[in-house]
Amino acid sequence: MRLIKTILLGTALSLAALPALAKQDIIWWDFLSGGDGVRMKALIDAFNKEHPDIQIKGTTLEWGVPFYTKVRTASAVGEGPDVMTYHLSRAPLGLEEKVLSEITPKDLEDAGLKTGDFFDAPIKAATHDGKLYAVPFDIHALILYYNADMLKGSPYLDANGKLTGIKTLADFEAALAWLKGKGVPTPVTYQSGGDAGVWRVFYTLLSQQGGEFVTNGKVLDGDNAEKAAKVIDTMSRWREKGWAPEQAEYQASVALFSAGKSAFQLNGVWEVPTYKDLEKNGKLGFKWSAVEIPPFMGKRATWADSHAFAIPNEGAKTVSGEKRAAVMKVIGWMEKHAIGWADAGHIPAYKAVTESADYKALQPNATYATLAEAAAFDPQTRITGVASPAYDASLNIIAPAIQGYMSGADAVQQIKTELQGKLK
Amino acid sequence: MAMIENRRKKSLIALTMVTPFVVTFSVFFLYPMLDMIRISFTDAPLVGAGHWVGFDNYLKLFGDRLFTLSLKNNAYFVALTVIPTTVIALLIALAINRLSGFRQTFVMSLFFMPYVLPVSVVTELWAWMLDLQFGVLQPVIALFTGKPVAVFKNPYWVMPMVAVVTIWWTNGFNVLLFIAGLRNIPSELYEAASLDGATTWQKFSRVTWPLLWPVTALVLTLQLILQLKIFDQIYLLSGGGPFNSSYVLLLKVYREAFQSNNGGYASAVATVLFLLIVVISVLQFQLLRIRRAS
Amino acid sequence: MSPMRRLENIVLTVLTLMAALVWIFPLYWGFLTSIRSEENAAGSVSILPDEFQLKAYLDAIFNTKLMLWYVNSIGTATIVTVLVILISMLCAYALSQIRFPGRRLLYGLVLGSFMVPGQTLVVTQFILMKDLNLINTWAGIILPQLIAPIVIIVYKQFFDGVPKEMREAVVLDGGGEYTILFKVFLPLNWGITTAMSIVTFIGVWNAFFWPFLVVTSEDMMTVPVGITQVNDAFGIHYARLMAVAMLAAMPVILAYVIFQRRVTDAIMISSGVKG
Repeated sequence: MRLIKTILLGTALSLAALPALAKQDIIWWDFLSGGDGVRMKALIDAFNKEHPDIQIKGTTLEWGVPFYTKVRTASAVGEGPDVMTYHLSRAPLGLEEKVLSEITPKDLEDAGLKTGDFFDAPIKAATHDGKLYAVPFDIHALILYYNADMLKGSPYLDANGKLTGIKTLADFEAALAWLKGKGVPTPVTYQSGGDAGVWRVFYTLLSQQGGEFVTNGKVLDGDNAEKAAKVIDTMSRWREKGWAPEQAEYQASVALFSAGKSAFQLNGVWEVPTYKDLEKNGKLGFKWSAVEIPPFMGKRATWADSHAFAIPNEGAKTVSGEKRAAVMKVIGWMEKHAIGWADAGHIPAYKAVTESADYKALQPNATYATLAEAAAFDPQTRITGVASPAYDASLNIIAPAIQGYMSGADAVQQIKTELQGKLK
Repeated sequence: MAMIENRRKKSLIALTMVTPFVVTFSVFFLYPMLDMIRISFTDAPLVGAGHWVGFDNYLKLFGDRLFTLSLKNNAYFVALTVIPTTVIALLIALAINRLSGFRQTFVMSLFFMPYVLPVSVVTELWAWMLDLQFGVLQPVIALFTGKPVAVFKNPYWVMPMVAVVTIWWTNGFNVLLFIAGLRNIPSELYEAASLDGATTWQKFSRVTWPLLWPVTALVLTLQLILQLKIFDQIYLLSGGGPFNSSYVLLLKVYREAFQSNNGGYASAVATVLFLLIVVISVLQFQLLRIRRAS
Repeated sequence: MSPMRRLENIVLTVLTLMAALVWIFPLYWGFLTSIRSEENAAGSVSILPDEFQLKAYLDAIFNTKLMLWYVNSIGTATIVTVLVILISMLCAYALSQIRFPGRRLLYGLVLGSFMVPGQTLVVTQFILMKDLNLINTWAGIILPQLIAPIVIIVYKQFFDGVPKEMREAVVLDGGGEYTILFKVFLPLNWGITTAMSIVTFIGVWNAFFWPFLVVTSEDMMTVPVGITQVNDAFGIHYARLMAVAMLAAMPVILAYVIFQRRVTDAIMISSGVKG
């Protein structure tokens, strides 16, 4: 009898407690697939398990233009997600499109975060007119992957099987020529047929010359034009000599490396988990590692960007009140558990995580840990960033130029005419 | 008096019958059409009001390289699809028409099946078959070019391949029309031709082809209009690339409106496409009428 | 028939059959991939079935929102079909059987709208749906798809051909226009109604552009849109991709196989090549 009473009472109590525990469903959109997607999904699942009162409902949409088109349209009609991933390179464009809502000091407090918890560069990129519009999650950059087995017997591998002796463009091209001579089909692979892959390499090599894409409201002004032309001619030469792939799609460019058809790969840190996973399952079949991109053009610099969390601005329908607090709680939790994200190759933007012993032990992250110092972020303009006019130009002008359809100088001229008008 | 009253009552009943159509038509077709024309004279974003800018959007079209390129690509796509699909459909229909009974039904259903598939299923099937690494058709391509080709990433291959996919998908419809047309040709005509000792080719050129012309013209017209409206396959297979070599007008409308937030300019592009199709339809209609009359 | 003729006949028949098999190959290949294991799917070029497993299907059903998209597709396609038939039949009946002011104008409008490309109106239709608060709703998907001038034209042609006597018999019994329509004209034209329903259903099931625009939330997507918009977090799995494609195609393939005759009739009738 007492048992029944207890049960009844317990039920009554828990029923009474229910309204207080009103479940919050958080609609979450991201563009993360591949290794990134797996890690993010694991983080979301962990969060959901820990928080019975807040459930993240995630949707993964196609990266790039489709994602940002959907975000913009959905937010404009008040049907956007509660929280979304966003590239900080695109923040100025996002602000102009009015799709980002301000992250107020109160919001940060709800998340248990302070701006001082993060690296400066991404916070700066997320801040406009003194207001924060996104919470940085990571810094990710272009790195140089290499297949140690293929480089065996070359002067470019030290006794420990680590990459050595590649400091200048001449060194690198000599290595490529050596590999080609040995019968390697495509010595260096990168996404040569897509906007993002071309842009990342282009911007890295431009920054390595101290070149800037936009100065004082002018696209590739002054000697930046010659520097840009030099980059395009260099990339064009790689293709001409058969060192780099012709018009490789993203998946194909990655497959070239994992299938052992390329000895080098210029790609973002996010592919680290792909090879890690393959290696773990014994499906890779070669030794590999990755390093910061050597200063091919003189200076240390490598293209970088940040993933961040943002809350869409939907006018009167913008997430607010308790739901917003729940969203911020999600963001705060993600930041503090970013070690699971670092496992995807990224450098967490939340400093505390990068100072942990767990993080310092992560490989090969440690080998390129220094690249934060060399990070070259896209200029903060309305024509640059993921799914921006600069990305369009990269696909429609730079990529064909690399294919040999026009010279570097002509391509630069076209980029200038195409983009200058859009840079009000 | 009773007559008039009866008439009025009848009109009232008619009114109740046509109202559902008239209302949906006005609200979801007529109004958007007029609104499209109105917005095309403004600088409105996708959501929200804009200012009257006169013919600015239309003038801008002439200087917009992407617009002229889209126009050209639309024409190129029409050239790649309309006549080839008509010829292929005719050949298939002639082949099917020779058969009878179960064989005929079976073969026809195989040729027709792709037509009932959703476009995204069609594009996924072909993307998979043409996958650079694992595509079952890549060895066939390599036979001709010496190496696999990422067809939807190649400026020369992309439009012809989208055309192949489109023809595969929609051809069944045209086959059906031709079969119906062939069935409408009286068999006595063939018998008479046989008695005169006509060869197979003579029978085709003297009997089949002339009598099939109205159907052929119908197929050509429907295809021309359909292929001008190309969007789905391009969006799903190549997204307009590479280097805009598969950029078409409806994609331009979509990008301007939903990606660049230029509702006004997008409407101007849409209005041009709209007028283009209407003019072609009317022209074709008149042409067919004249031909039929003569 | 001379032996030469007979040989020619056989050769042509075999060629036709082979062409048909080549034609259907993409669908067959998709199916073959879908019943393979992931490891085998990428890389196997055997055109014969070498294994049979439904793992990819189970994966597709349980790890995507396909079932939800099915509900949306079946729901919207059914409603559109019923409404299109009803709206068009009523309108066609009035146009065919009742003399009322504005009749010619209305028919002209129907014929004219047949030539007008609906896809070019998506921008303003989207804005309208936004103003009506119908983005991400079934109503938003359904409403612009209700205009089907071709169905009106077909019904009108058939109603025009119904003998006057049948109508008069009902009028003498004191029946009104609605009675005539539903008791006489509809039963006389069941064939047309089923044929038109099936092709409308297939058309709506396959619609891509409009549902793609008017739906932004994963939960409200229809099958053809959902399978292209939502990426899987676990990379590209070819067997599963094809399993999803097969599941998306299944309802329309079944509808076609079962109602084959009706489908072909409907297409021949609505394009005017068969009366």
